[in-house]
Amino acid sequence: MNALMIKGIAFAVVLMLATIYVLASMNITLQMLIDDPIKGLTVIGAGVIIILSVVVSFKYINQMKTDTATGELADENWDGIGEYKNELPVGWAFSFLGTMIWAMWYWTVGYPVNSFSQIGQLNEEVLAYNSKFEEMHKNADAATLKEMGESIFLVQCAPCHGETGDGLSGKAQDFTAGRFSKEQVLDVIKNGSNQLGYQMGAMPGGMASGTDAEAIATWVAGGMKGEKPATFAVCESCHGPDGKGMNGMAANIAEYDNTLVHNVLEHGKKGSIGRMPSFKGRLTPVQEKALASYLSTMK
Amino acid sequence: MFHWLEKNPFFFAVGVFVVIAFAGLVEILPNFSEASRPVIGLKPYTVLELAGKEVYKKDNCIACHSQLIRPFKSETDRYGQVSLSGEYAYDRPFLWGSKRTGPDLHRVGNYRTTDWHENHMWNPQSVVPKSIMPAYKHMFTNIADIETAYAEAVTVKNAFNTPYGDEFQGTRAAWDAYRPKVIEEAKAIAADMKNQDVKDTVAKGEIPEIVALIAYLNRLK
Repeated sequence: MNALMIKGIAFAVVLMLATIYVLASMNITLQMLIDDPIKGLTVIGAGVIIILSVVVSFKYINQMKTDTATGELADENWDGIGEYKNELPVGWAFSFLGTMIWAMWYWTVGYPVNSFSQIGQLNEEVLAYNSKFEEMHKNADAATLKEMGESIFLVQCAPCHGETGDGLSGKAQDFTAGRFSKEQVLDVIKNGSNQLGYQMGAMPGGMASGTDAEAIATWVAGGMKGEKPATFAVCESCHGPDGKGMNGMAANIAEYDNTLVHNVLEHGKKGSIGRMPSFKGRLTPVQEKALASYLSTMK
Repeated sequence: MFHWLEKNPFFFAVGVFVVIAFAGLVEILPNFSEASRPVIGLKPYTVLELAGKEVYKKDNCIACHSQLIRPFKSETDRYGQVSLSGEYAYDRPFLWGSKRTGPDLHRVGNYRTTDWHENHMWNPQSVVPKSIMPAYKHMFTNIADIETAYAEAVTVKNAFNTPYGDEFQGTRAAWDAYRPKVIEEAKAIAADMKNQDVKDTVAKGEIPEIVALIAYLNRLK
């Protein structure tokens, strides 16, 4: 055993003691290391690293002290610095060949055929996420839908309709005061509407006027309670006797339902208040359903 | 053959630089020029929109708002489709910005309207209660400089071949003939607004900055 080896072992022991001291100062006991395999493995790893580093470095220091160079020199030398004729290391040679083969594949097939697109990757990720989302919430219960609808409303709708949905004093549709205001009903009766893409098609303007229109507007804006005005018959033929739009054939004028919310989001709307832009493609079907269920709880 | 290069480190360094720079150019330039072409359907800014863009620059909207939607789902959910280089082809300069104290505006025209902008510029907190954006009431009285905007359009037409029509010429007569079109465009915006002073000013043939700015913001989509 030579002096160098003794120094090496001493150095390793010092490092080990230092590691134990650090562990002890952090109040880590042997039992904790046994109970928690991750911690235990970490400490064993530290020990292995210390031993390996010391052994390997002292092996090479020893070699440097005793080794002499042998072998056949290459013919050429550069300013007196020569080079031995060595065989290529096998691993290196195969990696080099492999790299060349891979480069040919990448040049001819890899890059041109599978070329990467950042936006393509995003689109794939979004599609995958959305289908997972739809699958997850396919049978969502009412509470989940309402919660989801509320957060969608706060992000997408609140800037115009207000955080409470009150339309910010007439700047947008007021969701807290029922389906319509009287002025809005009168405006639609007078001007008609053909914006939302319902199967029934366009609603012509002027189907009622004067006191008839007033009576209809008052009754509809009042939430369709009390005695139905006889003139409402003209509306019934499309919107149905209960005003619910006959299962999506015409607009639901009694409450917010899925079809209405979907159609307004898809087409946007210009009414007596102002213009709402189209939100086409911004919400998934589940999100639209969630939004509809949240809107129906606002009034 | 290149032995002399090895003896001249300076020229060797120059040679290395040229080789690497050439490789860089070959790799980067073709894609870059392809991507910078105007996307299909892109139209140059109208004179009113250009005037609005000047207001946007002058009041330093870029300090708080970016115009660049990055390819992340969180961004595309909130702001819309990812921005493409070709969409900025007629932006001189582009207004990407790098700071988002407020939201991104690259597609704000898709989901905000004229009357919303009017309310918001007059008093941001009236529509977004917790907003920290200041009010920009001076835009309702300051007059937008549409003449300079027209000159800008003529300049980019001459210098960069931006596709403006033949009615864009660098003469007083051409501007006088074109001016009514700008006023018409402004009237269409003012019709959707509620502020009577703004409507009156536009009716008189002058365009408040707010109208030009709204025209520009509505164009961002």
